[in-house]
Amino acid sequence: MNRPASMDPPLRCEGLARSFGGVQAVAGVSLALPAGQVTALVGPNGAGKTTVFNLITGNLRADAGVALLRGQSILGLKPWQVARRGVARSFQDLRLFTHMSVRDNVLAATERSAWFWQPGTGRRAREAAAEAALEATGLATLATARAVDLAYAERKFLSMARILAAQAEIWLLDEPASGLDLASRLRFGQLLKDARARGVAICLIEHNLDVVAELADRIAFLDQGRVLAEGEPQAILRDPQLAAIYFGDRPQEVA
Amino acid sequence: MTAYLASLATLAAIFAILAVTLNFMVGYAGIFSVAHAVFFGLGAYAGAQVALHLVPDALAACAVAALIAGGLSLCLALPALRVRGEYFVAASLGLQMMALTLFSEAKGLTGGLGGLIGIPPPRLFGFAVGALPLSLAALALILLAIAAMARGSFGRTLQSIRDAESAAEALGKNVAVAKALAVAFACAGAGVAGALFALHMQFVNVESFTLEQSVLVMAMVIVGGTGTLLGPVVGAVLLLSLPAGLAFLPFIPPTEVGAVQQIIYGLAMTLLMIFRPAGLVGDLSRGRSEA
Ligand SMILES: Nc1ncnc2c1ncn2[C@@H]1O[C@H](COP(=O)(O)OP(=O)(O)O)[C@@H](O)[C@H]1O
Ligand SMILES: [Mg+2]
Repeated sequence: MNRPASMDPPLRCEGLARSFGGVQAVAGVSLALPAGQVTALVGPNGAGKTTVFNLITGNLRADAGVALLRGQSILGLKPWQVARRGVARSFQDLRLFTHMSVRDNVLAATERSAWFWQPGTGRRAREAAAEAALEATGLATLATARAVDLAYAERKFLSMARILAAQAEIWLLDEPASGLDLASRLRFGQLLKDARARGVAICLIEHNLDVVAELADRIAFLDQGRVLAEGEPQAILRDPQLAAIYFGDRPQEVA
Repeated sequence: MTAYLASLATLAAIFAILAVTLNFMVGYAGIFSVAHAVFFGLGAYAGAQVALHLVPDALAACAVAALIAGGLSLCLALPALRVRGEYFVAASLGLQMMALTLFSEAKGLTGGLGGLIGIPPPRLFGFAVGALPLSLAALALILLAIAAMARGSFGRTLQSIRDAESAAEALGKNVAVAKALAVAFACAGAGVAGALFALHMQFVNVESFTLEQSVLVMAMVIVGGTGTLLGPVVGAVLLLSLPAGLAFLPFIPPTEVGAVQQIIYGLAMTLLMIFRPAGLVGDLSRGRSEA
């Protein structure tokens, strides 16, 4: 399952920090996302996982630290600029384009420019990418349905279809598998494995440790804004101290 | 009588242009503005000045009006669109109130409260043309442009911003630019409507560009159906012919028409929003609040 990490991880963060008022949400997080690997970001609720994503994507300003994308700093860029450099992210609350059709949701992910003219790719290529994303996520038969009319699992997959269609090198996925039934989880796992095989650098926030054990090449364990441990899944998952933190006060989290 | 009907139809076409362009902002891009009459006014004054002092050519008047209204809206929208939706509405309200004062005071350009009179009727390449075919043609062109944009990537970008701005940004969309372009297009369209209005009425003054007018156009959009192509046209025709229709009812004394009209407007709007929240042409499921 493990693939050799490329020499130079395309995304690397050092000492990222951010506080809200008195709350130190992220307190010096260093993280590298190697190409062709799934890095799971694990930790109790409020650990700062989503905030780490928001700092990388420019949705929040970092108090300190660096984030390098292929060696270039991306801190201070606007979210759309980070996206255009090849970082795709999903949201914990999905943020689908509710009143647009499933197909338009995905087509929109293939179009970057604000204007009619879309540089780079041709229309045919974009439509093909959208269709492929719909096919891979099992949404092809629902292409004309509106996003708001989809069932829960279908919405999760539409969020993934947008990520797929964006054809980014780096995926930041915020709890994409939460609440999925077993069959859907398997389909989701296949999506992730295919992307990993293509060399996508994936960061996966996930609460279900079975899913993590199945998919992750590495785990970063986050608690109170700090990376407490980072390494091979087996080692992290067996660590009794981390388990105590993870299960200790909030056992209901692991569904 | 036919002249009256033709005039009414011309006004309906002009207001339909206002409604469909405002709908482009509201329904597609999710930008609510109560200043559409300002750009209608800018276009009317610009078109009138072109016809009065340069050439009475409809195309020239419309082009200059579109440029001025669209260009100014771009300058105003770029800073204003940085704020969240609710604040943009407030900003547009401020603009509407400020603009009315400016229109009344800039006598050299607008004729002040008295307005501009003696505007020559429209011509096209030297030939006299009716304001009705001209307005209908402009409406058709603008509808075609909107239909094309709505189906293409620009329309998708605007709709994605309307539904989930942060997700659109996360897909690489420059939200500020997309919104500004939508506003510029819509306001350029309002400018064209203004130029046509000036050429049709042959007289313009500040009373046509008030907050009330902006609200009326917004009502046309909402009654017809936001985010639909033809809904705002239906809304414009309906809300314009209502007062005309009331005037023909024998049992309403002419002095009371205004009051009766207000009551019917209010009642109809309230009932409509309860029973067809997405407007007459809109998708029934859409206006409902979602769980
Ligand atoms: N925009 C924000 N404003 C204020 N506090 C925030 C904001 N975002 C996150 N926080 C706080 O930062 C901490 C970490 O949150 P978050 O990153 O969402 O945790 P996780 O995703 O690991 O559950 C929490 O205490 C949360 O309340
Ligand atoms: Mg979170």
